[in-house]
Amino acid sequence: MEIIIYGITNSISLALMAIGFSLTFGISGLPNFAHGAFYLLGGILTWIFLNQLGIPYLVAALLSILAIGAFGFFLYWGLMLRLRGLAINEVIATLAVAIVIIEVLRWMGFSGFSYVLPPFIRGSVNIGGVWVDNQRIVMVGIGAALIVVLYLFTRRTKTGLSFRAIAQNERTAIAVGIDPDWTAALSLAMGSGLAVVAGLAILPLGAIDTEMGYDILLYALAVGIIGGLESLPGALLGSFILGFSQILVATFLRAQWQTVVTLAAIVIILAIKPSGLLGKYKELEERV
Amino acid sequence: MLEAKNLMVFFENALAINDLSIEVKREEIVGVLGPNSAGKTTLMNTISGLIIDIKIKEERRGGERITVMGELWFEGEEMLHSKPSYRIRKGIALSRERHPIFPDSSVEENLRISTYLRKDPEVQKSFEFVYGIFPPLRELRKRKAGFCSGGEQQMLSVGMALMTRPKLLLLDEPLLGLSPMMQRFLIEAIRRIRKEGIAVLVAEQFARPLLPSLDRGYVIENGMLSFQGTGQELRDNPEVRASFVGV
Repeated sequence: MEIIIYGITNSISLALMAIGFSLTFGISGLPNFAHGAFYLLGGILTWIFLNQLGIPYLVAALLSILAIGAFGFFLYWGLMLRLRGLAINEVIATLAVAIVIIEVLRWMGFSGFSYVLPPFIRGSVNIGGVWVDNQRIVMVGIGAALIVVLYLFTRRTKTGLSFRAIAQNERTAIAVGIDPDWTAALSLAMGSGLAVVAGLAILPLGAIDTEMGYDILLYALAVGIIGGLESLPGALLGSFILGFSQILVATFLRAQWQTVVTLAAIVIILAIKPSGLLGKYKELEERV
Repeated sequence: MLEAKNLMVFFENALAINDLSIEVKREEIVGVLGPNSAGKTTLMNTISGLIIDIKIKEERRGGERITVMGELWFEGEEMLHSKPSYRIRKGIALSRERHPIFPDSSVEENLRISTYLRKDPEVQKSFEFVYGIFPPLRELRKRKAGFCSGGEQQMLSVGMALMTRPKLLLLDEPLLGLSPMMQRFLIEAIRRIRKEGIAVLVAEQFARPLLPSLDRGYVIENGMLSFQGTGQELRDNPEVRASFVGV
């Protein structure tokens, strides 16, 4: 029972970490290696708003999401636009942004037990004999809500449909009037905003540590590679596989082995199915 | 309504289109005929504006240098360097070669995506218009477009262009790879589209089934104009007959 409950919460937290990265990459092919840094920065920004400026929690959270989203949007126009189509340069540039953000935050000392975001709802509940703190339940709720919202967004709204169009066939999308740069900038903004959402849902479970900036990126990449980098269902599948195997390993072996599982999963998937379990519409193309 | 004057398109130093002038008048069906690599698709991309995007992408990754020169007038406005989205707003829509649709979306979603630029409330009317011209699409509207047959995807591709409410419809090789029956159906559809007041410019390699429906036509080879005339003149010209009609 413990394994099931902690497996689910762990999987959802991984899915939250990965969903923004997958979204941006799936739509515009931009590998946002600053994803983990945005996660961290969003958390710290909220902490500053909350403790130094005295802004209410909910407002502080929304402000950080919007701020980082806007940062992603302008990052596209200011920097990524010059590198579009050069995959390696995109990785180097976003990783550079990530290192700058994370190391500056480390230098400013944003690490340790004084930097804690309060949980949304305190206390814990008993589910089938296991005590689960409320924040974990809230996190699962946020994860599930996010998946539903994203599903509806990409199928019901004009912007969402244009995202789907660009992801499937960029040139046809342009031929019906969709602007590829505008869409890519929006997707980077949304991905960055989602990184903060993930941070706000997960960070209250522990203290803020600048090292997370790198760890989150690693988890997002691992989930993406397992499930297929450009597909959201893939990210979901990947996070459940990784989430449960981490918990199983932590229960039956030792907690230290969790990172090994993550890296081993990447290696195994790359060896047997490089495009990920639910990689791009390969099967569909072959049938037609 | 459309007038291209002395178009020149270079890929690095290679001339893809050489001093080409073409014209499409209101409610005309005009053909651009030519063999492979004659420059038909480049011409279509130049008129629809897709070439602007290709050019920007090539510049960004330091690839081929593309140069576009000449004049392109559409309804009294010079458009050679405007964005594709602007040209779509003004009424030029392209259905691309080999019907590249959005395979993972349903047929209906494909059509809906194509209304992206429209802000008017008459989108539903356009759905009825497209389903009226291509009745099979109505039956297929819930199916994933990637699972449709080539002919169905071609209908969808033309339908998507129609959803932008064009005044001028550009069709790049619409008959390529279709069965003779589907070709006849599509040509019939093109005639009906023209009857609705939409001018059509068709680029095609295999011209035999299309020739009777053309008001005028241009034959291009290596990016240059080699013959132009009315539909009748094209049908009677022995060289055209030998090269493109296959008699």
